[in-house]
Amino acid sequence: MRLSTRKLLDRAFSSVGVFAIVLMGLALAAILTPMFQRGIGAFVFRATVEHRRQMLDLFGRGDRAALTAEIESTRAARQPVFDALIAYRGEQSAAIGEALAAAERLGRRGDLLGRRIQRALDRIRALGDFKQRLDMLDRLQDMVRQQNEPETRADVDLIAGIVRRLAVPAEHYGAFTEALRDLLGPLPRDEERILPRFRYGQARWDRALVKRHAFLFVESWDYSDASGMGRQVFTPRRTLFEDTALEPVFDLIEQNLEDMLKPRLTFYGRFLTDHSVDAHFFGGIGPEALGTFYLTLGAMLFAVPLGIIAAIYFAEYARPGRTVSLLRSCVSTLAGVPSIVFGLFGLAFFINTIRVSPSKSVLAGSLTLGLLILPTVIRAAEEALLAVPRAYKEAAMGLGAGRWRTVLTVMLPAALPGILTGIVISMGRAAGETAPIIFTAAVSVGAALNPSEVFTHPTPALSWNIYNLATEHEAVDEIRHVQYGMVTTLVGIVLLLNVTAIWIRARISKKLRG
Amino acid sequence: MQTLHIGNTARGDNLILSARARWRRKLAGALGQGTLFAVTSVAALAVLFIFYFIARDALPFFRSRGLVEFLTQSDWYPSKVPGHFGAKAIFVGSALVTLGSVLVAVPLGVAAAVCLSDVLPFSARQIVKPVIEILAAIPSVAYGFFALVVFAPLLQDQGNRVLAIAWWILAAPTLFLLVMVLGDLATNGIKSPRLRPPARLAATVLFGAGAAVLLLAGARGIHGLTIVTGTNALNVSIILGIMALPTVVSVSEDALQAAGRDLREGSYALGATRAETICKTILPAASSGILAAAMLGTMRALGETMVVWMASGNAAQIPSPIYNYLMPVRTLTATIAGDMGEADHVTGSDRYHVLFAMGLCLLAFSFVCNLIAEWVVARQRRKLRGE
Repeated sequence: MRLSTRKLLDRAFSSVGVFAIVLMGLALAAILTPMFQRGIGAFVFRATVEHRRQMLDLFGRGDRAALTAEIESTRAARQPVFDALIAYRGEQSAAIGEALAAAERLGRRGDLLGRRIQRALDRIRALGDFKQRLDMLDRLQDMVRQQNEPETRADVDLIAGIVRRLAVPAEHYGAFTEALRDLLGPLPRDEERILPRFRYGQARWDRALVKRHAFLFVESWDYSDASGMGRQVFTPRRTLFEDTALEPVFDLIEQNLEDMLKPRLTFYGRFLTDHSVDAHFFGGIGPEALGTFYLTLGAMLFAVPLGIIAAIYFAEYARPGRTVSLLRSCVSTLAGVPSIVFGLFGLAFFINTIRVSPSKSVLAGSLTLGLLILPTVIRAAEEALLAVPRAYKEAAMGLGAGRWRTVLTVMLPAALPGILTGIVISMGRAAGETAPIIFTAAVSVGAALNPSEVFTHPTPALSWNIYNLATEHEAVDEIRHVQYGMVTTLVGIVLLLNVTAIWIRARISKKLRG
Repeated sequence: MQTLHIGNTARGDNLILSARARWRRKLAGALGQGTLFAVTSVAALAVLFIFYFIARDALPFFRSRGLVEFLTQSDWYPSKVPGHFGAKAIFVGSALVTLGSVLVAVPLGVAAAVCLSDVLPFSARQIVKPVIEILAAIPSVAYGFFALVVFAPLLQDQGNRVLAIAWWILAAPTLFLLVMVLGDLATNGIKSPRLRPPARLAATVLFGAGAAVLLLAGARGIHGLTIVTGTNALNVSIILGIMALPTVVSVSEDALQAAGRDLREGSYALGATRAETICKTILPAASSGILAAAMLGTMRALGETMVVWMASGNAAQIPSPIYNYLMPVRTLTATIAGDMGEADHVTGSDRYHVLFAMGLCLLAFSFVCNLIAEWVVARQRRKLRGE
């Protein structure tokens, strides 16, 4: 090979390595950026008046007088919409009245047809549903039209025209009010509904914009291209309500929504501690954060003493031999056991065999998690103990301290920062693990636990609820901000712990260098 | 010799103690050491407990259904009466996803490890290390969330474009290098210094044309793919590959570091470039460590639950053709996690025990991987010590 080709290959080789590292950095950035960008949206967002109403109603926060004034002003902005609804209903009943009058005129005849018309009219008057009334009227005019009498022609055409004009809006009126309710909350004459998600309009301005789009446009799917997948088509909802009193509502919503909802940039810091309302539609992630805290703390209480003792044994007492190498193999095998298998073991052993609790509980979950991080703690503590300079130990021994005293008073304090680093990192691991707690500790919905309940009760936890909300929740898209908020909180905790570890380690190496 | 002398005086102090006190001290020491040993054994023997309890709950399944259906059929209907427990598709799914993530993680990881240990200056290494640590620290459920909420829609809507960009980034430089090297090698035999440059030019142009055709054909092929769903084996393989990267990088970097300075300097002294030094000297010396890194990466990918549960599509089917990574798959871990919710109130049924049987398979596989990795690392250590 020529020298220039060899040089080229050498450069290419280096750039492959750099490329791999850059790719790794990009992957990290690509994963963390959306999490934090959208996760921060759970804490800082443009909150509408509905959010402030919730805060006052559900958590008793906020200034009642100011809020009342604000609600008054939004009501004033919404009034034209509600007026349009009333006007539409008036228009409808006027038109129906006109049609009924025409039908009555048709029914003023003595023959069989006249009696049938009368009967049909009685039934129409008894009907409550607007759509059914229109259907009946349509059938009635059809019946008369078949007689083909010139003198009834005018009335028949009148009824047919009214039916034709009202049929389309009447058919879509239900979806219209539903979309409006989604946006603004209950309409003036609605009956009270129990679930909070039906009692309030959109609490977040970003969601309100999505809902405004859903109000202004009807979504449908076009399957005309049989070979490919369906295509999403949006048609303006306005076209369904042309020439009715509802038509101006679309302009009102498009232009005045801000006055109706009064969005204001809000910092919702208590998202971290608030309990959730109505399956995470509103409120915060308090119970989950607390559950993660309990589980992590429990795992540490179990793993740290055990791990440090084992590390002292391995580093100070163990003499190389078959027993010790077997024990070491066991520890490294434990480190390689898949996390879901820990979950199975926790279920089979802690819950079904020794019954630490009647069913899932924080205790069982903590024990399982503790076992999972045990190898990490042992390894970190052993490395830290082995890194303590030999001179320390020899000096202590030389001063007449026994082996035990040397370990306790010299070795452990000297190794403490290193051990702490390992503990902090495994804390992050315990906080983030999901698979071991699925069968042993986690529930989807639950209140925050008292410290006394941890021995018997399961708990919601951040990691499990991220999974649960992102896949099994009934309205996954509606609560994306909560999911992102949870992910950001969890990743934030773990990163904070790791940064702490990196900081401690930097301090150690500085100290060792003098 | 100073220390030895001090040690002797310390022991000399002991002689002053009465026989009883000495005995008591000895007993306390033995007791302390015994306690330490006992506690350590508990910690270490936990893994035997895990084996025992998983096997105990897995055996009833093998006893009542045997192995044949479990391993050779792919009807997975555990909740039917009578249930079908053919897990072949699930095993294949696990294997596919693991293989895919190893294909992502090992080349990238080894390249990054080489770069860290031999190419980058110390200061750059200080920046890269935390990146690796953070990648390792991000919880698996966060990766799963990313795969499901960000990556899957991207693959579903823009999949062809994403794959085409990846193809260009990976294939174009590789083919360019290949063309240069091939052009050089093909004309190596020509002795005359006057004929060689034009011949090399011609060969390079010829190979270049072939490479361009290959590139365009690849791009066309990617454009013709239909991606029905974003939650598929490819998505999961990439994300799992990223998750396994830190393990692969740190273990193989340790192996490369362990190969030592003298090997490198010997190679440089013989006139080898850095690439030749690493490829011909360092990588062979560190090969067993890199194998161990690949093993540990495999274990990480195989044992991962949340990412595959959230983003693999969970369809218990063998993709057709089998290398079709754009189809949804289902893995062992996801099946355990997903089916236990329905099975744990029928404790004692086959539905319950089959999940333990799967757990046992996972456990056995990771045990074997771990043994191999450990053995390989021990062998390398012996070899480097020159035994």
